[in-house]
Amino acid sequence: MEEFFQQLTNGLAVGSIYALIALGYTMVYGVLKLINFAHGDLFTIGAYLGMTLLASFALHETIGPFIGLVVLALMVMGLVAILGAIVERTAYRPLRESPRLSAVVSALGASIFLQNAVMLIYGARFQVYPEDLIPETAIDLFGLYVPLVRILVLAASLVLMAALYTFIQKTRIGTAIRAAAIDQDAARLMGIDVTRVILLVFLIGPALGGAAGLMVGLQYGQINFTMGWTYGMKAFTAAILGGIGNIPGAMLGGLLLGVIEAMGSAYISIAWKDAIAFFVLILILIVRPTGLLGERVAEKV
Amino acid sequence: MKKIVFVLMTVCLLTATAYAQDTIKIGLMAPLTGSFASEGAEMKQVLELLNAELNAKGGLLGKKVELITDDDGSDARTAALAAQRLTTKGVVAVIGTYGSSVTEASQNIFNEAKIIQVANGSTAIRLTEKGLKYFFRTCPRDDEQGKVAVDAIVKTKAKKVAILHDNSTYAKGLADEVKPQLEKKGIKIVFFDALTPKQSDYTAVLTKMKGAGPDLVFFTGYYSEAGLLLKQAKQMNWKVPFLGGDATYNTDLVKLAGREAVTGFSFVMPPLPKYLPSKQAKSFLADFKKKYGNEPSSPYSVLAGDGFRVVAAAIAQTKTTDPDKLANYMKTQFKDKDALTGTISFNAKGDRVGDVYRYFKFDSKGEIVLQK
Repeated sequence: MEEFFQQLTNGLAVGSIYALIALGYTMVYGVLKLINFAHGDLFTIGAYLGMTLLASFALHETIGPFIGLVVLALMVMGLVAILGAIVERTAYRPLRESPRLSAVVSALGASIFLQNAVMLIYGARFQVYPEDLIPETAIDLFGLYVPLVRILVLAASLVLMAALYTFIQKTRIGTAIRAAAIDQDAARLMGIDVTRVILLVFLIGPALGGAAGLMVGLQYGQINFTMGWTYGMKAFTAAILGGIGNIPGAMLGGLLLGVIEAMGSAYISIAWKDAIAFFVLILILIVRPTGLLGERVAEKV
Repeated sequence: MKKIVFVLMTVCLLTATAYAQDTIKIGLMAPLTGSFASEGAEMKQVLELLNAELNAKGGLLGKKVELITDDDGSDARTAALAAQRLTTKGVVAVIGTYGSSVTEASQNIFNEAKIIQVANGSTAIRLTEKGLKYFFRTCPRDDEQGKVAVDAIVKTKAKKVAILHDNSTYAKGLADEVKPQLEKKGIKIVFFDALTPKQSDYTAVLTKMKGAGPDLVFFTGYYSEAGLLLKQAKQMNWKVPFLGGDATYNTDLVKLAGREAVTGFSFVMPPLPKYLPSKQAKSFLADFKKKYGNEPSSPYSVLAGDGFRVVAAAIAQTKTTDPDKLANYMKTQFKDKDALTGTISFNAKGDRVGDVYRYFKFDSKGEIVLQK
């Protein structure tokens, strides 16, 4: 039983990262019906920027580890958000009126461009976050041994997700985003500036992705320019699992995918971990083709 | 005036002959992009250095040697394309590549084109069991590595061992090789499974292994995963000793795992030049450091260097670039006592002869120590 709960925490820790990245995919898909392949690479850039900023400002030393890390996270999120907006401006906006396939190709191109840019700037070697930023203590939770950094990462991602959920559900701008996701033309007729909504989505999604990158760096210490591909793939799966286009769905899908992976490797086979995760995805899609929380969309005939 | 004309004529004549001379082309197929890109970058550095030195001494058979590099992308499909490109460029031999599954995709292409291939990091056994005439490797095979690993495990007196691989040709081959040998020696294998490489969270794997209660974990995969495993095992407060195969070592490992987590980690590996007494290795190291600012971090880039030296020496000694003669010579008569990684000669399969593997362990300062 102890092992079960240990695996549950393992799964939740990985799943919370998947969920944060999945939000970026799902928000863009919701508004534009476009899969932003460059999102995984924005996540990578978040991880690298975090490392650079840590090394150059050493905020955790000057203003204390906790505030230092919060300020660092805000800086990374801001920078990655700006980058996300640039990607939208250069790779997607010129293709707004083109067939959807052109935008997908452009997204793949942006992904390849960003990935190789990271490789050229930082090199192909694995990069390492400075050690001992967060004390390497583990907390004893009823006999479970959970490292402090895991709890912090899980808590931070839950806070970010809760903030996003409130923002989307309770504010006027959030309502505008939801409206644009349902019907862009109708939203425009209601006086919503859809172009700005899209820009906003490309600021929020990458900011969350960048934060996830920073968390991966802090938690695991080692980052690599190809990491966006692996995480992006999983997060994209999570978004579909929860129902792509649906924000709570992405959160649920991410956490669930992490837990399924951990349980699959614990009780079936580690080597089959991914196969199990995709098998569950297929099962869920057979029963609910729109994902767990996805709404039924009637096809226009 | 006469003098000037004479000088000009000589210059013209000299440059004309220089242009008339063609070059001997040696290919390098290396992972310049993809997940082994850091290995590939260093392989290229080593070969460029050795090639420059060779040309400074006058090249081969009176011709300059030209190095033609292509990228295998750390991926079998990309490697097949790279191999096809290299065959069209008139190379005599190709050095590379690193990963066994990547090399495997290029083997037949080079063999059909009668191009000598000297792999530097591909230790999977079956690569030389196919009877390919022009395939060689400077790294030893996994059965050789397996033997050394089994000896090392027996020495630790572990009774229950967990074996973890990553399903790659190399890592699975080594794991499969070691498992029956350990069982024969009465050691119980309590865990045998594969992780998925290139992820950052292996706590699920570690939790499961911990449940099996091994005295020792033998990990046959690569160094980035090894770093994460060591680091996360320490975070979990699980103090089991880890033993790694030869791909687990890279100078970056200490950084990746952290000095504390790496303490006590042991591995089997062909030695880096700094553990070799030869004069050749020392001067090579000095030259490398002078040109690039740091010492080579991987033993495989040095083995690629040895591959280049072997081909160059074989061409110089046979005075030909005919692939049949070269392959024949390398398999039957070739012997280099002063190679960077020790003595090199090949058997009829193209495998390197002699034991190359050593057993190392990290001390508490993050330094590696040769174990007897």
